[in-house]
Amino acid sequence: MAIYLDCNATTPAEPSVASVVMRFLEKDFGNAASPIHDYGVFALAAVEHARGQVAEVVRARRDEVIFTSGATESNNLAILGLAEAGIQSGRRHLITTAIEHKAVLEPFEEMSRLGFEVQILPVKTDGRFDPERLADALRHDTLLVSTMQVNNESGVLQPLAEVAEIVANHDIWWHVDAAQGFGKELEQLRHPRIDLISISGHKIYGPKGVGALIARKHDRQLPPLRPLMLGGGQEQGLRPGTLPVHLIAGLGEAAKLAVRNNGERAEKCRAFREQALAALSALGAVQNGTEEYTLPHVLNVSLPGINSEQAIKALKNVIAVSSTSACTSHTHTPSHVLAAMGLAPEKVEQSIRLSWCHMTPAVYWNEVETILRALRG
Amino acid sequence: MNDIFRELEEVTVEQYDHYDLPKWLADPVLVVARNPDAYRGKEYLIEILVAQVREYDVYAEAGCCKWAYDHEDIKRTLRWLEE
Repeated sequence: MAIYLDCNATTPAEPSVASVVMRFLEKDFGNAASPIHDYGVFALAAVEHARGQVAEVVRARRDEVIFTSGATESNNLAILGLAEAGIQSGRRHLITTAIEHKAVLEPFEEMSRLGFEVQILPVKTDGRFDPERLADALRHDTLLVSTMQVNNESGVLQPLAEVAEIVANHDIWWHVDAAQGFGKELEQLRHPRIDLISISGHKIYGPKGVGALIARKHDRQLPPLRPLMLGGGQEQGLRPGTLPVHLIAGLGEAAKLAVRNNGERAEKCRAFREQALAALSALGAVQNGTEEYTLPHVLNVSLPGINSEQAIKALKNVIAVSSTSACTSHTHTPSHVLAAMGLAPEKVEQSIRLSWCHMTPAVYWNEVETILRALRG
Repeated sequence: MNDIFRELEEVTVEQYDHYDLPKWLADPVLVVARNPDAYRGKEYLIEILVAQVREYDVYAEAGCCKWAYDHEDIKRTLRWLEE
């Protein structure tokens, strides 16, 4: 079996996460909305415990965590959920960046269809958007700014601290898609100016199918979101449906470990990175995105003279990598992220993304080098 | 494994000494915290208990929403620990 180097697509579950999930599937299977007996009460206790564990990662309050099916749903709720507030207040200007995930860009397209004006900020060749461009773009009728924390393809950390200063005195909602950085880069998301944070369980060694929208309260009020679905009133009326207690408890466990083991995990990823960089540099690989701001578990490179699709196929028995985000790789469309960073189409065609974690075993890099050199002929 | 029990003891003493946790509730929690061997395998419940003691609020049930833990929550978790 090839060694899995696609952790930005999804991560393996921590053993203790799997154990918690199984517990709430097999033994403690009560419905958290039925606290009329111990089964339901314990399920509710587990949900509230997980809510606290997730909140702790970003120093939010427990009542600011809305459980969803994952970051895609959270992004949709954060963006489309503000439509009514924008229409009622007459604020119809929205800002985002060119390197956002489709789960942000497509809700913005929908907002455009609803009559909102969408402004998309460009990014620089280092993979980061320019905060000054954001400052210039803000208007009196801006409703929402949505910026990702870490890009899923390049692994580049975005300048959120600078954004916080820029929007500090503006009456706008600020949403951060933190699917790739939550639980990994801790400090940024603790900034109290960030109103809305989208997260996913399966990017932090938790289960798939669960995530959260963290919505910080102001004067004890949630941002003026409207639910996208109706029927049940769960999650403070914002996300109806029976809570998947097993997934939520698993997400809580993953969040707990993300804080507890943060330094140790990053250290292991940095050690792995040194080996990966050494091997790929020997092949003349060019890193996409500046190393200074790239998280230690991601490496996006263009390999001169080697087509990425051929490389991925040739390497499939040694390492499992991808050429773009999991959500677009099946469509074989060129990366909009690398294109926005100004890469020539040829360089985009030569790009591969490697992403690992603290549980990734050692790779035989000599074998990888040999395969890639053979491809180059 | 003993870290979570140590944390339970610390947070319970803190809440009893400086906040509103009553003695009748602190005492049985401290019995659990100081007997880790008796509760081996029940660490998940101990974690819940830590959170409940840390966020203990006499008036948790007051108001429209319950976003703190009260004595009923802690008593219930203590009962689950004995089952």
